[in-house]
Amino acid sequence: MPADQLSHTFAALADPTRRAILARLATGECSVTELAEPFDMSMPAVSKHLRVLERAGLIARGREAQWRPCRIDAGPLKEVAEWTERYRHIWESRFNRLEGYLQTMKAKEKKHARKPRRK
Amino acid sequence: MPVSHAANSDTFTLTTPSDREITITRLFDASPALVFEAMTKPEHVRRWWGNLDDRYSVTVCEIDLRVGGAWRFVGRGPEGQFPAFHGVYREIDAPGRLVYTEIFEPFPDVESVVTQILTGEGSKTRLTVTSSYPSLEVRDMVLKTGMEKGAALSYDRLDDVAQELARIVAQ
Repeated sequence: MPADQLSHTFAALADPTRRAILARLATGECSVTELAEPFDMSMPAVSKHLRVLERAGLIARGREAQWRPCRIDAGPLKEVAEWTERYRHIWESRFNRLEGYLQTMKAKEKKHARKPRRK
Repeated sequence: MPVSHAANSDTFTLTTPSDREITITRLFDASPALVFEAMTKPEHVRRWWGNLDDRYSVTVCEIDLRVGGAWRFVGRGPEGQFPAFHGVYREIDAPGRLVYTEIFEPFPDVESVVTQILTGEGSKTRLTVTSSYPSLEVRDMVLKTGMEKGAALSYDRLDDVAQELARIVAQ
């Protein structure tokens, strides 16, 4: 996925209404009218959110029917999850190194604690 | 999948408790005092923060551990210097609590506030690090660029580990 596409995805997800729309679509496809129902929002406002989601590739809209049903496209969401997974790996491996290093520190402390007795 | 067989590696968790936060927790086999020391003294931080293997080093590691004091870390890998991180200490209550700001230098106007908590659990210590960002967009940008800039590189390391695991399994 090109970097600018990923930016589109993040920008699209950065809005609570759009995330709520995605959550609704995760349960199955529906019409714009149905999507607008839970929100105190005009149809044009909902359509605007849908255009952002569509541009980000997060939803697809049917061409076949007059009511153009919306459905979620999990592809870009998977990409986002993968990015997060990578960030996780950075910190996971960093802290694994810290754990290893702490054991080195503990071993050194024991050695130092013994030294005065030897002298 | 655990990254390696390091002790307590299965206790690592990364969560996004709110739109603007990332929280990481992990247990360590050491006292809170020792973990605090390892995370706040340059001679120790240099040994684990950015050193994926022999080709990596921490070239700058400045820590002025006072309220209002500055810190700055720069890592270096086979392909050169990585962008630096820096910030200022806000609260120091060793070893239990440390609060500091963090700026990733390519994004100088984005400041996060990091709260690091260490609590003893028997002979172990639980570390909880919460980074708070100005907005959801910034937080997600961090989740995204963390890999591009910081340690794309731990990928190499991961591959090594994966190959090592594969060898062990094959035996």
